[in-house]
Formats: sequence, structure tokens, C-alpha cells
Amino acid sequence: MPDVEGAALRDRVAIAGIGATELSKDSGVTTLTLACRAILAACADAGLPPEELDGIATFRVGDSVLPAILAQTLGLRDLHYYVDQFGGGSVSHSIIGQAALAVHAGLAKHVVCYRALNARSEFRMGGIGRPLVDAVETQYQAPFGYFTPPQQFAMAARAHMARYGTTEAQLGQVAVTQRTHAVENPRARMRAPITLDDYYASRPVVLPFRLLDCCLETDGAVAVLVTSAERARDLAKTPVLVSGAAWGSGHTLYSNEQPDTTRTAAADMAPRLWSMAGLGPHDVDVAQLYDCFTYSVIVQLEDYGFCTKGEGGPFVESGATALGGAIPVNTHGGFLSEGYVHGMNHVYEAVSQLRHEAGARQVAGAEVALSTAQPGYVSGNCSALVLRRDA
Amino acid sequence: MSDADPRDLPFPSFAPHPDRDSAPWWSALDAGAFRLQRCGDCGTLRWPPRALCNRCRSFESGWEDVARSGRVASWIRTHQVFAPEAREKVPYVVVQVALDAQADLLLIGGWLTEREPAVGEAVVLEIVDGGHGHALPCWRPRASD
Repeated sequence: MPDVEGAALRDRVAIAGIGATELSKDSGVTTLTLACRAILAACADAGLPPEELDGIATFRVGDSVLPAILAQTLGLRDLHYYVDQFGGGSVSHSIIGQAALAVHAGLAKHVVCYRALNARSEFRMGGIGRPLVDAVETQYQAPFGYFTPPQQFAMAARAHMARYGTTEAQLGQVAVTQRTHAVENPRARMRAPITLDDYYASRPVVLPFRLLDCCLETDGAVAVLVTSAERARDLAKTPVLVSGAAWGSGHTLYSNEQPDTTRTAAADMAPRLWSMAGLGPHDVDVAQLYDCFTYSVIVQLEDYGFCTKGEGGPFVESGATALGGAIPVNTHGGFLSEGYVHGMNHVYEAVSQLRHEAGARQVAGAEVALSTAQPGYVSGNCSALVLRRDA
Repeated sequence: MSDADPRDLPFPSFAPHPDRDSAPWWSALDAGAFRLQRCGDCGTLRWPPRALCNRCRSFESGWEDVARSGRVASWIRTHQVFAPEAREKVPYVVVQVALDAQADLLLIGGWLTEREPAVGEAVVLEIVDGGHGHALPCWRPRASD
């Protein structure tokens, strides 16, 4: 497959370990401590002594510990690979793709990718306690009281509802389905079942979004250990191969020539992601789709090709995304019910499913998973991984 | 610019921080003008203000008055208080408008009418005093209610 973009990387690198902290409203500790806990947990999971780490990567928006301090704290003195990526959820999966490149090129042997945040107790994305970031054209938004992610995504959701007839009930069904999944997830912050009536009764945040359309601002950390497939086979757990990794694209709510806000950057990126993996949406057994808001699940179902454009709402309403459905989505409950670790907890759940360690929410015989990052409304970036259980 | 009292604005307004690309846009608005960059080579209107045309990559451009009208591409109503300054203003509507001058240009703006907007409806510009030294592009239904 010499002509397929990225195919040289297909299945050559693996996720060998995963680690997570408790997810809470107030961790009571620094992001440095959270990161250390998650990373050491990922090493323990893989059976790898932490001193074997020679690469470290994170992403942040000025809200978390500098990874250089983390390396020092972990006693890692000779890093061969280091990434401190500026950005939010849209780059959450790109740091893993980049780590895979570095490992495949032989620059580093064991790269740990992590995200640590006190997104509820210290640095809320919703605005309070957060300085305005001028990386995302704030000057054209803030003067109208428009500067937070729920506002930006609600704007796109309304356009989708007007164009395709997507309904509030369909948005609500995303929240209800994911809560049903979270009931079976001990890590999840919200485990009490909800109904569509509960959804309608939840307070308006940014209409068309109600409270239950929105993710849970969360304190916590997740770490993922990336190494070669070959080395992963000598470690403790079943390797999960990186079959496809894609990142890039770039249209925002302001992109001249791309005024259709009902279509995300994922639609541009998905074809090369699938071709790199040599797989397609019909091969996927379980999908963890970035769910900062209910709507982002609906639009990604369309833009990654699980249903036709405009049919994401009815697709969710049909039960296809529930456990037992054609393509279970966000089996951990997602950001809406498990908690918000900015994309990394989606990778954690995808790996758990492919190792068949997901307990009562296990998708039977899961072999292939899609895990995705924020599809680009805010920053214009997008990233995603196709993961496969090692044979 | 309208002489409305900025305290009466229906949304909480935060001062923009113009940069070297956007300063002409903001100063034109402050003078009551609605002006966009037009590419000096391919003629494409440019938004947001930038030195380079993203269609033909020309650095040439001039500022010109453009039609003060558009259509509602989308809108939201914010109920949550995201900043203390918003406490007295919630709930408030923000619109995203596709300009008649070039429909692929989307502007975020304030909504000055009590009733909710509708996606696709025709709107006209009204430049208002933001109360922080800068004028702001806001919108009303084209036909008066």
C-alpha cells in the first residue's frame, strides 16, 4: 500500500498501558500530582518501570503543569521526545499520533501521553476564572458576550437543526443513552439513569443546549503509554494497535469559503483516517466520540460516515448508538456522564473495550474502535485514532 | 452610530482588543462605517481582517463600504452567567449572520430586537456604542416589527 497516506505506520505502534485518576469536582491536588498518578498508573498497567519512559507529551491551554516539571518530578533525566502542544480537545488525539510517529521512527521507545486538569475546581472552560484566550478570534466574539464552548457549539447545533430537522429530543437522546452506559461504569461521575423528561426539565444553559447537553467540568487525569507493537507484545496487557491516526484540517466558525457550520473538519479528515487504517466505519465495533456537547456526537456520526449527512439525529433515536446497537457510542458515558478529561478518557475507554476489560458495558468481541477529538469548531483542528486489538 | 445608552444593550459587552490586522475594521466601525477588506488581486472580500487573501494569497487589499445586510445563519440564547458582567443581561441572544456582500462571510453580532431571530431571516445592520470605547455591529430584522 505504498500510495496510501500514512499506511507505513499502520499497526506498527501500540498503546501498551492506560492510567486514570479518580474523576471529581475537586481533586484537592495540583495538576502535577494528578499527572503523576495517571502516568504511574499507566506504567503499572503495562508492567513498565517508569524509568523506561523516554518521551512525554501533553496538550493544554495554559491550565496545567508544564511537562518539563513533570519529567523532573518523575526523575526522567534524558527525554528523547517531548511535546507541549497548545490547544484544547481538538488536539487530544494528535499527541498520540505524533508519539506513534516518534516511536516508529525510533526517536523514542516509550512515550507517555497525558492530560491533567482541574477543570472544575481551578480553571473552568466556561469563563469564570479563566482569562480570555486570544488564539481563537476572541475579539470578534467577546464584545457580544459570546466566548465559551457551549455558545460556539450551540450556534452550530442550531444551524444543523434548521437545515436537517435535528430535534431537541434527538439531542436529549444522546444524553439519555450515554447515561445508561455510565450506570455500568464505576469511574463515571453521574450514574443515576435519566429520561427525556429529565432532559427537558434541566435548566437552559445556552439554548438550544440545556444542562444535560453539556459535559461535566471535571478534575482528573488520564495517561496513555505508546510504544512499538513489538515491545508492547512483551508487556503485561494485550496490545492495542494504532491502525489509523490523523490530525489536521482546519476550518472554524470564521472560515471564508467554508460557511457551512453543520459540517465539521472531521468530514475532511475522516477519509484519510479510514484509508490509513485500511478500515471503514462498518468495521468499527465501538466508537468514543468527543462529546463536549450532545450535538457533537450527532455531527460526528455523520462526518465519520456512520450515517448519511443530516441523519445523525434519527440514527441516535433509532438506538443504534446504545450498547447492543449497531455501533455503541461512548460506552463509558462520555464527557456527559463519566467526566471530562478533554478527549483522553475516550482513548482510555476505547483501549479498555479492545482489551475486553470493560465489565458490564463490554461490547462483545470488540476488535476495532474509533476514538475522536473535538471536531474543530473552536480551533479549526481535529484529530482521531482508529485502534485495533492485537491478533 | 446610534445614540443608545450602552447600559441598555441587551447583551453583556466586553471590549475587543484590536490587533494590527483588525485596527482598521474597528476604527471604521467607531466612525459609523461598515467596511471590509477586498482583495486587490482577486476581488474576494476578506473576513476576519488579515494581511493575506486566503483565496489567491495576495497581500494587496483595500477597505470598502459593503452592504449593511445579511441573513441569520444561526443564533443562540445564553442563560448561564459566564462572567459577572453578564448577570444583569441573561438571557440574551447572539446571532451569526451571513453577509449579503459575500455569503460565505459569517459575523457574530448582537441582536437588538425583543423577539427571537429565525434562521434564514433577512437582517439589517445597526452599529451601536459598546460602552467601552468601541462600536459594535448588531442586527435587527429587515422589516420592522
